[in-house]
Amino acid sequence: MKRQFAMIVGALVAWAPVAAKAQEMRLPVMPNSVRFLVLGDAGTGERQQYEVAAQIVRYYAEFPFTFAILLGDNIYGKERPQDFAQKFERPYKALLDAGVKFHAALGNHDDPNQRYYKPFNLDGKRYRTFKEGNVRFFILDSNYLDPEQVKWLEKELEASDSEWKIAYFHHPLYTTARRGPEVELRAILEPIFVKHGVDVVFAGHEHVYERFKPQRGIHHFLAGGAAKLRKGDTRRGPLTAAAFDRDRSFMLVEIIDDKMFFQAISRTGVVIDEGIIPSRETAEATRASVLPLVRSP
Amino acid sequence: MSCKWRGGRLALVAVVGAAWTVGTGCRETEPERSENPTDTMFADFAERLDAYTTLRERLTDSIGDLDPTKSQEEIAARAVALGNAIIASRPDAKQGDIFSPEVAAFLATLIRQEYSRRSEPVLETRQDQQDELPDFEPRVNQIYPTTYPLATFPPALLPVLPPLPEVIEYRIVRDYLILRDVEANVILDFIPRAVPSGG
Repeated sequence: MKRQFAMIVGALVAWAPVAAKAQEMRLPVMPNSVRFLVLGDAGTGERQQYEVAAQIVRYYAEFPFTFAILLGDNIYGKERPQDFAQKFERPYKALLDAGVKFHAALGNHDDPNQRYYKPFNLDGKRYRTFKEGNVRFFILDSNYLDPEQVKWLEKELEASDSEWKIAYFHHPLYTTARRGPEVELRAILEPIFVKHGVDVVFAGHEHVYERFKPQRGIHHFLAGGAAKLRKGDTRRGPLTAAAFDRDRSFMLVEIIDDKMFFQAISRTGVVIDEGIIPSRETAEATRASVLPLVRSP
Repeated sequence: MSCKWRGGRLALVAVVGAAWTVGTGCRETEPERSENPTDTMFADFAERLDAYTTLRERLTDSIGDLDPTKSQEEIAARAVALGNAIIASRPDAKQGDIFSPEVAAFLATLIRQEYSRRSEPVLETRQDQQDELPDFEPRVNQIYPTTYPLATFPPALLPVLPPLPEVIEYRIVRDYLILRDVEANVILDFIPRAVPSGG
C-alpha cells in the first residue's frame, strides 16, 4: 500500500503544473496525535482543485493525517456519478487509497442527498458528531438550521466531555469577504458555542482564507479557498488575525493534548499562516490566545 | 407516520399563532381539537402534510429506503425513481393543495412580521443571500432544477414557521416560499409573494 501510495504521489507531483517549492512543514507530527486536513469549497472539478490536491498529497508524505474535514460545497453544479468522480474521487484518489477518511459538511451548492454518499461519512444525516482522540467534532448543516438541529447541538455539546470541541459548517460567522458574516446564524450559534466551551470553528463559503482573533473565546477559521478563489476579497479589520486571498489554500491541523498546531498552505505550497492554539481551558488559565509555531510541542 | 413527525404534528396542531414548538416525545394521543379558527386551520395543514407523508411512505415501501452507499448511481437513481413516483401519484396536484389559501395568507403574514423585527445587519445578510436565490418560477410537481443551489434558509425564520415532517423542507425561490421533498427534490407546493423582496 505504501509503495502504491508513493507511486501515486510521484505521478501527481509530476503531473501538477505548479512550481515545486520547498515545503515548510513545521507541525510536530507526533505519534497518536489527532491530525487532519481542512478543505472548503473544493468540488469544482477544475484544474485548480487538482493542483491544490496535488499539493496536499505532497504534504501528506510529511504529515500523514488520518482524516479530512470538508466545509461544504463539496460538489458544485451537476451531481451525476461522473461529477462525484471528477470533483471528489479523482482529485483525492491518493488520499482515499491511503485510507484518509473524509467527513463532509453540506454547503449551499450541495444536494442534501450527499448525506447518503458513504465517502462523505454523514451516515445519512444532515448533521452529526464524531470523535477523534480527545477531540469531539460537531458537523452542522448551516443551510437549514432548524430548531430541531439547534436542540440536537445543545444536547450533544452538553453530553460531550472531550478536551476539545470543534464545530464546522459551511457559512462563516466571521468574515471580511464581500458577502459578509452570517450574523443571523451567529446570533443563534455563538451563545451555544460559548456556553458549552467550543474551542474552534471552521467554515467556508467565502473563497479565501481568514483567521480571526478569538471571539468570545472561540477561534474562527475560514478556509473556503480549496478550489475557487475570490482574489482580493478580504479586508483586514480589527478582528483579523490573518488573511490570504491571492491564491487557493487548505489547512493542516494537529492536536496534541491541550494544543492545536495549524498551518494554512497555498496551492503553490507556501505556508500562509501558522500557530498554536491552546485549548479554551488552558487559554483561560494562561491568558494565551495564539502562540508562534515551534517544531515540537 | 414517523415518530419524529408525529411529535412535530402534535406541536403544529396544538400551537396557536406564531409561537411554534416542536414536540420531542412520541405521544400516542392527540390533543383535543379546539374551536379556535387558527387551530382548525393548522390542524387542516397538518392533515394535508399527513396525507402527503402517507402517500410517500407507500411509495418508498415499493422503491425502498436508501442506506449510505459508495454508489452515487444508486443515490441518484433512487432520487429520480422517488421523484417520478411522487409526480405520477399526484398528477393533479396544484398550488394550494398543501398550503391552503388560509394557511398561505397566515404564513405570509408571519414571515412579513418576522422580517420587520429583524435588525439592519440581519436584513443585509438576507439581502446578500437573496443575491444567491434561485431565479425561476416554481411549479407544483416540478423537479427543483439542479442548476440552482438551494438558497440558505434564514435561520431565525425557521422557528416561526410550523414544523414539517423530516422529508419535507421550506425553501425560498425568488419571493416564493416553497415546500420541497428533500430526497426526491420535488416542489410540492408554494406560496407566491410570501417573502419580502429586497431582503
